Amino acid sequence: MYKKFLQLTKNLTVSLEKGLNFLTTQENNPLYFHGALPLYTFWFLIFSGIMLWMYYIPTLDRAWTSVNYITSLPVLLKDASGHLLLKNGNAVVVAVSPETGIPYGAVVRGIHRWGAAAMMITTVLHMLRVYFTDRHRAWRWLPWVSGVLLLIFVLFVGVTGYLLVWDARAYALTVWTQKWLEAVPLIGASLSTFFIGGEAIRDFTLTRFFFFHIGGATFIFWLIWMHFIRLHEPVVTPSRAVNFLTLGFILVAAGVYPAVNVTQELIARYPVLAVDQNYIASDAPAQIGYLVQTIRYDAWYLFPYYLIEKVGVNWAWFILGGATLLLFVAPFYPKDRRDNIAEVIDAKCTGCTFCSLDCPFEAITMQERAPGSKFKLIAVVQAARCSECGVCVGACPFQAIELPQNLSKSIDADVLALLKSGA
Amino acid sequence: MSDQMTATTPKKPRVIVGFVCERSIPIQEMIDAQRALTDDPETKIIILPCSGMVKPTQMELALANGADATFVCGCAINDCHYRTGNLMIRERLEGTRNPKLRKNTDKRKVGMFFFTMKDKRPFLDALAEFKATTENL
Repeated sequence: MYKKFLQLTKNLTVSLEKGLNFLTTQENNPLYFHGALPLYTFWFLIFSGIMLWMYYIPTLDRAWTSVNYITSLPVLLKDASGHLLLKNGNAVVVAVSPETGIPYGAVVRGIHRWGAAAMMITTVLHMLRVYFTDRHRAWRWLPWVSGVLLLIFVLFVGVTGYLLVWDARAYALTVWTQKWLEAVPLIGASLSTFFIGGEAIRDFTLTRFFFFHIGGATFIFWLIWMHFIRLHEPVVTPSRAVNFLTLGFILVAAGVYPAVNVTQELIARYPVLAVDQNYIASDAPAQIGYLVQTIRYDAWYLFPYYLIEKVGVNWAWFILGGATLLLFVAPFYPKDRRDNIAEVIDAKCTGCTFCSLDCPFEAITMQERAPGSKFKLIAVVQAARCSECGVCVGACPFQAIELPQNLSKSIDADVLALLKSGA
Repeated sequence: MSDQMTATTPKKPRVIVGFVCERSIPIQEMIDAQRALTDDPETKIIILPCSGMVKPTQMELALANGADATFVCGCAINDCHYRTGNLMIRERLEGTRNPKLRKNTDKRKVGMFFFTMKDKRPFLDALAEFKATTENL
């Protein structure tokens, strides 16, 4: 039943991708680079994040103003009806003087903001695609489990990014997160104290959030290494065409909708800011003790808080915890029969390393033979990692590694028999 | 005179041997009990777990023993179920990865196709085109 479901999802996924192949060709189908796209968008976040870091001040009274200084003016302007303001056919571009803000700072923050949305979208697409095509089970458990951890940390780093701007929404998110953590039995109060860096919200709180954001992003790199460790030559960058397409999407989004703090002064100058929600990256500055009733939800990062608001902290823990647990156990069910794991024929193995170099899942290691042996090395298959694909068999010039159910001599005999019957 | 000869002499059936990945085209439903393609009985099929398992020597074996041509069919490029099997066999047949085809193998008779499980018709069309190009070799 469950396997039939996976077969159905695979059929639907392949049909969708086949349709896209007509437009893009196999070589440039973005859906074939579902794994490389999150990493590619991550680089946008790293570089734009470093630029924002240069001006950000993580203290209660300076955080909002420092972000405001970075992004005080939008660059591409729109009129009240949402159309780009044009002058002689060109979009109106405003350069900002260093006294009032950072030139194009709003665009850099826009890249950080839209890049973050792109990273979560591509990460979820990657996960769904891997799951729908049944490429998450058995020998792929480590990439899947590390992928679930990556999803959690991408979410964590994204949410802490929302806290750093320290507007009314950030304060509400901080208070709700504390309540959420306090609901944990026994250690809840300690977790809450750890989260805000003390007993009460103060300057150390912003420093702690900044550490969570940067430290979490750094930890993502370690998780990516773990994600790749059992993959031979992981695809870390999409094709050139897909690269430019993604670059274009993020830059256009950041250029058309740069991220700004919406202040009354800005609304007075640019009325469009009062009506177009896409511009609003920050609300009014946070005031300790003043909690807004509801916040603007970002579908990609703030859905846990939407759950907390709608169903309460306990149910939110139950739903999110249950979903996470299901994701963690997904690769271990159902179990397939494993009767075709590659076997090395010791007497034939010359230690040439071809099979080890070509194995897609790093399942073959080369080990030293006993002193005095005819050959120095021998290939050793790690059964738990073997996918039973036979790529190692194709790589071996000496018929020294075989799949027990698809022996080379049987295939050769099949070829000859087919030729005999067809002649 | 030659026209009459063509009309009266039965054309010798050709034999094409294909090595097909079980996860690319829906090959199980495309062959008969003799493992010939139902749409093209001249083409005989060996089914393998992955196109990356094909040894160039097996294709040479087919050619040396009477096959008129041989081909491999794997998953769509960039979408191998086992990640890199189709890329491996493509590089082996193109001569950029070991083990390669021998230098004296007629590479015009060696084809490679990469299709998804939904590409039955495009595969048959590509195969027909390949057979046409190898007809007079």
